[in-house]
Amino acid sequence: MTAEGLIAVGLLGIAAPAVPGIAVKTKSLLTGRRGPPMLQLYADLAKLVRKGRVYSRTTTLIFRAGPVVALASLIVAALFLPLDGREAPARFAGDIVAFAGLLALGRFALVLAGLDTGSSFEGLGASREVTIASFAEPTMFLCFIALVLAAGDLSLSGMLGTPLAAAWPHAGASLSLVGVSLFVLLLAENSRVPVDDPATHLELTMIHEVIVLDHGGPDLALILYGSALKLTLFGVLVVSVLVPRAGLSGPAALALLFAGLGVVAVAVGVVESVMARVRLVRVPQLLVGAAALALVATILQLR
Amino acid sequence: MTLVAVGLTLILLAGLAASREALFRILLGAGCLTGAVPALAVLAGETVRDVRVAAATPFGPWVFGLDALSAVFLLAILSVGAACAFYGLTYLAHERGRRPVGAAHLLLAVLVASLALAVVARAAVPFLIAWEGMAIAAYLLVVLEHERREVRRAGMIYVVATHVGTLLLFALFAIWGGTGGTGDLSFDALGAHAPFSAGRGGMILAVALIAFGLKAGAVPFHFWLPEAHAAAPAHVSALMSGVVIKMGIYGLLRTIVLFGAPPPWWGWVVLALGAASGVLGVVWALAQHDIKRLLAFHSVENIGIILLGIGAGALGLAYGHPVIAVLGFAGAVLHTLNHALFKSLLFLAAGSVIHATGTREIDHLGGLARRMPATTATFLIGSAAIVGLPPLNGFVSEWVVYQALLRGVSAGDAMQFAGLAVVVLAFIGALALACFVKVVGVLYLGTPRRTLATDARESAAGMIRPLVGLAVACVVIGLVPIAVVPPGLRVGSLVAGLPAATAGLPAAAAAGPATMFTIALALSLFVAWGLYVALGRRGQPAESATWGCGYPSPTPRMAYTASSFAAPLLGVFRSFAGVRTHRTAQAFATHAVDPVLDEVLVPAWRGARTAAAWLRHAQRGGGGLSRYLLWVGAAVVASLLYLLAVGRNP
Amino acid sequence: MRDAAQIVLLLVVLSDLAVLGTSRLSSCIRGIAAQGLLLGLLPVLIAPQLSVHAVSLALGTVIVKAVALPWFLAWAIREAAVRREIEPIVGFIASQLLGALAVALAFAIASRLPLPAVQHPLLVPVSLATLIIGFIVLTTRRKALVQVVGYLILENGIYLFGLTQTESVPFLLELGVLLDIFVGVFIMGIVVFHINREFDSLDSTRLTELTD
Repeated sequence: MTAEGLIAVGLLGIAAPAVPGIAVKTKSLLTGRRGPPMLQLYADLAKLVRKGRVYSRTTTLIFRAGPVVALASLIVAALFLPLDGREAPARFAGDIVAFAGLLALGRFALVLAGLDTGSSFEGLGASREVTIASFAEPTMFLCFIALVLAAGDLSLSGMLGTPLAAAWPHAGASLSLVGVSLFVLLLAENSRVPVDDPATHLELTMIHEVIVLDHGGPDLALILYGSALKLTLFGVLVVSVLVPRAGLSGPAALALLFAGLGVVAVAVGVVESVMARVRLVRVPQLLVGAAALALVATILQLR
Repeated sequence: MTLVAVGLTLILLAGLAASREALFRILLGAGCLTGAVPALAVLAGETVRDVRVAAATPFGPWVFGLDALSAVFLLAILSVGAACAFYGLTYLAHERGRRPVGAAHLLLAVLVASLALAVVARAAVPFLIAWEGMAIAAYLLVVLEHERREVRRAGMIYVVATHVGTLLLFALFAIWGGTGGTGDLSFDALGAHAPFSAGRGGMILAVALIAFGLKAGAVPFHFWLPEAHAAAPAHVSALMSGVVIKMGIYGLLRTIVLFGAPPPWWGWVVLALGAASGVLGVVWALAQHDIKRLLAFHSVENIGIILLGIGAGALGLAYGHPVIAVLGFAGAVLHTLNHALFKSLLFLAAGSVIHATGTREIDHLGGLARRMPATTATFLIGSAAIVGLPPLNGFVSEWVVYQALLRGVSAGDAMQFAGLAVVVLAFIGALALACFVKVVGVLYLGTPRRTLATDARESAAGMIRPLVGLAVACVVIGLVPIAVVPPGLRVGSLVAGLPAATAGLPAAAAAGPATMFTIALALSLFVAWGLYVALGRRGQPAESATWGCGYPSPTPRMAYTASSFAAPLLGVFRSFAGVRTHRTAQAFATHAVDPVLDEVLVPAWRGARTAAAWLRHAQRGGGGLSRYLLWVGAAVVASLLYLLAVGRNP
Repeated sequence: MRDAAQIVLLLVVLSDLAVLGTSRLSSCIRGIAAQGLLLGLLPVLIAPQLSVHAVSLALGTVIVKAVALPWFLAWAIREAAVRREIEPIVGFIASQLLGALAVALAFAIASRLPLPAVQHPLLVPVSLATLIIGFIVLTTRRKALVQVVGYLILENGIYLFGLTQTESVPFLLELGVLLDIFVGVFIMGIVVFHINREFDSLDSTRLTELTD
């Protein structure tokens, strides 16, 4: 738990709302519009924090606690990622389970908060969200297995840090496949196209948006910031696998990470512009496809 | 050992005094505490000598002992037993006139005592006596509401299944004790028979797996579990799901202790059974809308997770990876303890809901959080624990099992394929999250769907206290893994037959940082909530109705139902999910069946019954003895002809 | 060259899995065209030195597998006016899992086959995987056109395996293989066209009505 590590996490936290902004800007430019400014989400968050709060009569404490628990778990999860390419502020053997568990905790809290309103739309979104999550989590663990095989270390600091950089020369093909699989996972877990359209306005077609439909004001600010942070964390995963930074100094590695995050955001925007959303029944199939990629990556290392 | 004996006697006395509530509480509580003290001492590192008692029964003396493995199970039995017994006092209190409530409490005490006896028994005869006592007491408790047909049916299926298991246990001890031995069936003598030839050893392991698998409820031997656990009263279901099925796990682990390192095929079979039980258990649970059947299928799922740990441990032993072996067994044992705690918590809370509303159907309830806040809070803690979310106890045991499997991945030989079970474990965890989000959301959140739910009231203090106690245990174990992981590793080394200190070292070292993580997480959640409340003090939040997308008159019946919630996920599994639809011109209904019971065993049973009826008809014919005598005469003639053809030279 | 060949072989596996996972017929055809292009690159990449033989084989493969056959199949799709595959007999998710399993099986078998040293270690596993996946597509899909694509993938697997023998094999073998494919597809195309014209449907499960 070094000071540099915590400062890196803090910088990541400050930069997080820019990542969806870059994605939206890319999509707008590619579809022929000027689009909102890249830092729009900061302004939105500031506006939401100043608003008053309205709660439904049906809701209980769970509704108010949901966004708080979700954001807190994401922040703790960020502590396990090696942002400088070598060492994370927190590590122990098997902390991948903790990372996945924290993401699950956030999802549990948010979905329950959505169901607390008693509206059928939230129920619809919650049902779809847990269906997608049921296929996303094994895919994530399959990617982790491939990384464990490549790096030989059981903690995220090892799997994404120096041992992984040492494994790139001989396991490069496998790790590229893992990177692609993690990118598909990023799209699925953060409700981007082709799994969910973040720009849709019809409640019946939403997944993540409709779960948080009833949240407003400061709660919505917490949720929007949490979504941006989750997108950033998955982006860090993708960048760490594809661009090992173990040989660079601290600030240089961090700068390269942020550059990589920008590239990932642009890629998300490009995907959103060229692809349409797939039918809901096809989403598990898409995730099984990503899992098949990760499985091929694992097989390549197992022989 | 004397303390254990005293404790068991006190428990039995409590059962006899069941009519006086206060006396029951005191005696049972004292009995469980005195029994728990030596268990804790053994887990902390002390050793206890065996006690041999010469008895009039054959097959050697009666031996009793308490090692680390027995101690962990004893702790689970006594703690969960006490909680369920205290809960049962209040739960059955209003039925005093109509039902034999005193007998029910006595049987519960007998059940707890025989469970405890089974884990401290060190010879075949007392073990089997305790096993049978357990089965009979459990059966009698299951059929408490015997005026209902489905309860009688469930009891019958349960008693048949458990006695098939007992018969297989007899066979197991027979094969093990063998022909050339002294006839001494104490566990030390049995352990001395190892190593076995491949054929005999294989048979022992196969019979043990089926017998203990029947008790534990692994797929495909689980068919009795949902019926029995749904039909029994709530506190009995809690005890059965929490502890009785764990006796199967205890048997498997004790078999490994006495057998030595099993061959690789057994480890693979256990791993495969664990994977099948885990995935199928949770998929079938998703299809249920009866709260107790749902929780019973989740027990099948968690037995699957425990079997994954045992499989990993057995494979570690077979392929020579001591660290993986110890971690696998430790994870299985820790998950046994944790599951006993949170599953009994969930069943007791479900019992409170059923007691308050009178129905087991999730889709008729809803919005109970405002009316039953304590039950909701404890159920929520139990759900988060069973899903494996940090910082609760489910996370700790799943973390240990994950470590065993992940180390298997990097092991370099055939164990790598066992490591792919990590994916299965992750799938199980995610599906469990889906199912419990559904249960909590539909039961406690939202608006009540029918009047049964609006009239519900919080249960009496006697039913809330055990819930709180179990929830506190879940939280404490989750917050301080460093208190449970090293004893778990000690038990794991015992099962693996390896020296305690060296084998589990990497995991013991990781338990410290893991504890820091869980405490830090709990602290950050507190701090975050405190900040949120403090910063939100300015201004009063307004109240409104839930946004209905402009629909002018929402009704509670428009709330999302549990079957709709689970439908997308079950649709992926199609016919494996056990959801059958009945469609007529005017109506459409879905029905959740247990594919093993309703589509394999029951038709097989009906086929056997038809064949037997035909055979009986062929034997007896229309009336009188004539056809029967014909068969007897034909048999005599056939034997005479055989003697004629063969038997010149006898 | 080894790394380039490794990437190309991995892309072949990915194109197999892509054909398994898609329900749009045009995507199937694009997958098989991409596969043809990759297969065309391979003789040039794995040959120890560039020869007229290798280059002409590469060109011929690209022309037939990546250009002519996909064009022909696209024409067949336009004629028959089908665009989408219906749910296969085992389901899309199950067929993708089967495909991943096929890759695992191929790698496991390939390491145990008693073969002499080949140009590239991934060649035999990838050919076996392509074979098995082509077989899966051929047997589990309902639309005749997708079954033709499966047959072509099967032939690609055989072609890959044949590449391990191109050290000193005469030209005739390659020509033979290509002609084989061409004839097979031509016949299938005619049959498909006639089935569609006769029965107004390309659903092969309905072909069993012919037996009565």
